[in-house]
Amino acid sequence: MLQVSHLMVFFENALALNDFSMEVGRGELRGVIGSNSAGKTTLMHALSGLLIDIRIKEQRRGGERITLMGKIHYEGEEITHLPPHERVQRGIVLCRERHPIFPESDVLENLKIAGYLRAREETRRSMEFVFDLFPVLKSFRRKRAGFLSGGEQQMLAIGMAIVAAPRLLLLDEPLLGLSPAMQRHLVDAVQQIRSERGTTILIAEQFARPILPLLDYAYVIENGMMTLSGAGPELMENPEVRAAYFGV
Amino acid sequence: MFLGTLVYGIVNSVILALVALGFNLTFGISGIANFAYGALYVLTGYGVWILLNEVGLPLFLAAPAMVVLTAMAGALLYRVVLIRLRGMAISEVIATFGVGLAVLEFFRYLGFIGFEYTLPPLLDGSLSIGPVFLDLQRALIVIVGVTLTGVLWLFTHHTRLGLAFRGIAQDEHTAMCLGIHSDRVAMFSLAFGGGLCALAAVVILPIGTISVDAGYDVLLEALAVCIVGGLGSAVGVIVASFILGLAQTYTAMYMGSHWMMIVTLVAILLILTIRPSGLFGKQKELEERI
Repeated sequence: MLQVSHLMVFFENALALNDFSMEVGRGELRGVIGSNSAGKTTLMHALSGLLIDIRIKEQRRGGERITLMGKIHYEGEEITHLPPHERVQRGIVLCRERHPIFPESDVLENLKIAGYLRAREETRRSMEFVFDLFPVLKSFRRKRAGFLSGGEQQMLAIGMAIVAAPRLLLLDEPLLGLSPAMQRHLVDAVQQIRSERGTTILIAEQFARPILPLLDYAYVIENGMMTLSGAGPELMENPEVRAAYFGV
Repeated sequence: MFLGTLVYGIVNSVILALVALGFNLTFGISGIANFAYGALYVLTGYGVWILLNEVGLPLFLAAPAMVVLTAMAGALLYRVVLIRLRGMAISEVIATFGVGLAVLEFFRYLGFIGFEYTLPPLLDGSLSIGPVFLDLQRALIVIVGVTLTGVLWLFTHHTRLGLAFRGIAQDEHTAMCLGIHSDRVAMFSLAFGGGLCALAAVVILPIGTISVDAGYDVLLEALAVCIVGGLGSAVGVIVASFILGLAQTYTAMYMGSHWMMIVTLVAILLILTIRPSGLFGKQKELEERI
């Protein structure tokens, strides 16, 4: 479904992603594991097209020069240089890191805004699914999103991504800054999204422990380069991964 | 006399609100302070005048035509000039102010000065509220102001494009991740701002004359209302319009009309020293709580 081949991203002369190749098959749950500044977010921005928009805006104002090499294919079509809104139309939806929501709008309005490209009826059905998935959002649906807790905002952010009807859902550090209980809750939700809606999911995370065992396939990324890859449970046993991510 | 002043104070407040709505809408959505706003206002005025007197269109065609044309001028301003300056606030201000200056001074150069540049009122006659007589044009201004505020609220809360406006206004990248086209929405925000400005011009200008200087006054008034109310806040615009509008009218009544302009300037200075984000600059307050 998604093929990334030899992707390289430069910010000026700094190399953020170095010859990175990966793929995601339809219906799979894959992950990119890496520490801070490993290049996870750059990869997510390249896949969602945000990088293209950021590059254009930097270009207009004569700011940082961003260079993108290599190719990204999605369902047989090259999308390396498509702007973000065209990728959303094709079903690639990114849920950015640090629970991005619209703080001044209430929960319901956040979800309505997310349905921008979808038919009203489809949005309504997706919202029902989101409320089933995260019942707490339903009880807070008239509350301003800015006043929700971090975990609730993360649920809302994922809910918004679902309303945008992704076929390939990109989750950038969904577990960041959450309690272990909330992390488990979200991991369960991710599995439910996959099983009930058949969504293909790619997760970028640094907290490997709760998510790694569930991944069909995972890539370990360091300094913009892939260092290891393999099935999730297999990587759990890898001594290097254990040393770097589990502290054993 | 007190009642009369109150009625005219309210009319004045609605005028301020009408003038500020478009400026506030554009800024609230795209973060662009459109300093060509006054020029768009005057452009509408002279445009309607030309369509009426040179082309010979009837008023009910000329006025809507200019509203549409001014909205298109706003969109063009974004497509041609602002798109390359997005995110650089100072450049946006300089560019829009420059375009505004050029348009306004071009009209002056063409010789559009004098008392013959007036628009006929859309409604003739007057009504009485108790002992106070109010001409129908001023009553119309109040009706248009109230209706427009209501329509605008419905639009931003219940239509697809309106919700996209609110999304982009709050977090551009998140909105883009949901498929909202940032440049297109910004262009629409300037078009809507221009259209609102033109609507205000069409209903307000008949009670005075069209002049180049009105462009600068309108910009100043819109800025004052938005600074006092808190830039980007719709509630702020309405509250600030009433504070400034009533204060202006009562000052004119009891101290003389040449003090009217001072009220606006003092209000700007006071707010900037006491509460720089304006009366309803809410965004900050929310951030502090989290």
